[in-house]
Amino acid sequence: MALMNTLEVRDLSYSYPDGKPALRGVSMHAAGGECVGIVGPNGAGKSTLLLHLNGILPEDDSRQGEVVICGERITNSNLHEVHRMVGLLFQDPDDQLFCPTVSEDVAFGPAQFGFPAAEIDRIVRESLRQVGLEGFERRSPHHLSGGEKQRVCLAGILACNPSILVLDEPTSDLDPRGRRELARLIRGLPATRVIASHDLELVLDLCSRVYLLDGGEVVASGAAAEILSDEELMVAHGLEKPHSLQHRHPHT
Amino acid sequence: MRHEYIDRYARLDSPVHRLPPGLKLAIALALVISTVMVPISAIPYFAACALLLLIVIFLAHLPFRFVALRLLTLEPLAGGVGILALMQHDGLLMLIRILVKSNLCLLTMIVLSNTTPFDGILGVLRSLRVPQLLVTVLALMYRYVFLLIDQSERMTRARKSRTFAPRRGGRWKTAAGIVGQLFIRSTERAERIYAAMSARGWR
Repeated sequence: MALMNTLEVRDLSYSYPDGKPALRGVSMHAAGGECVGIVGPNGAGKSTLLLHLNGILPEDDSRQGEVVICGERITNSNLHEVHRMVGLLFQDPDDQLFCPTVSEDVAFGPAQFGFPAAEIDRIVRESLRQVGLEGFERRSPHHLSGGEKQRVCLAGILACNPSILVLDEPTSDLDPRGRRELARLIRGLPATRVIASHDLELVLDLCSRVYLLDGGEVVASGAAAEILSDEELMVAHGLEKPHSLQHRHPHT
Repeated sequence: MRHEYIDRYARLDSPVHRLPPGLKLAIALALVISTVMVPISAIPYFAACALLLLIVIFLAHLPFRFVALRLLTLEPLAGGVGILALMQHDGLLMLIRILVKSNLCLLTMIVLSNTTPFDGILGVLRSLRVPQLLVTVLALMYRYVFLLIDQSERMTRARKSRTFAPRRGGRWKTAAGIVGQLFIRSTERAERIYAAMSARGWR
């Protein structure tokens, strides 16, 4: 199927409740299984765009344009299916870990989708194993380290078995080891992935294509190495050329 | 970060901790209700109650110092109401009644919350068919109260590190500022949590 796991945003505009425009005519797409990066300075509209991909922001007067998931346009009536197809990892793990224990949190999605209890248990165990946190079931989220929290969040999303994974600054709270492990994990996932990040090395490492967002608009898009190595463009939009693209000698 | 204020000892291993949460909740509720209902003249009842709670504290390996401190933190509430009662006719008796009863109830709750993990209590509420929405609200409250404590501590620390000439008036003003900030941040966080819940199928 041509439309499997695809994502398309067509001419999306959105204003905040106070009338300030956040997105102006953004168009982007991701093919099935592709990993796409979204980069841009603070306040460029990255997080707002990601919220639209999951249908969190309602369809009303403040929003024009459309978001199409797996060939189906997001409307107010199919939000539930959209939530199931698109997994969204939020920037602050504490926003996402809202249950008293790790296992309840990972089970939240499957429970909402009405899976039987035995199946949920199996999914929770499998998802925790996938992120390398076996045996964390009974722990409370407030006793976890930043990296562990981020991985529990990811497990909670993997438990919903989404066809599209949307990640907002997945590495901002992590130490280098946590970052490396998360990158390895994300790379190994079969789902279509959209990653918004200031961690340009991560984007370069994982994403085949990137969109550069500034002031709510897509100012450039193309192959990751090509866009990120354009020093003038990057600096003009509050970013920088990643270190690994700075030198001509190979980094080993 | 220290996350030990509220139920620091809830996950110890002792005969009391091993009892089923439902039983402990039932006993605690029965104790609270009967303490409220029994007339103050029934001194043996209150003595027996206090003794029972002390024995439970001992069996559960809860440090007496910790329990006493917790009780002391909550005392202003009970004490305040008691002092207001002094204005009334027969005020002294009323004060004694309020202090004895509220302290016993508070002690019961402190012991319960430090011998039973909160998710155990939530599990009991769920199995008693308490409305799902109420259980969810309780679960969220428990989850985020620690975060609030952390946040207010960080803000207080940041204030301290930039206070050079402490003045009483200034301190009250910044304290009010911190409370206001906490409120705003909490509302914003509530919105983000709701978004995160929706993203995983909540409706």
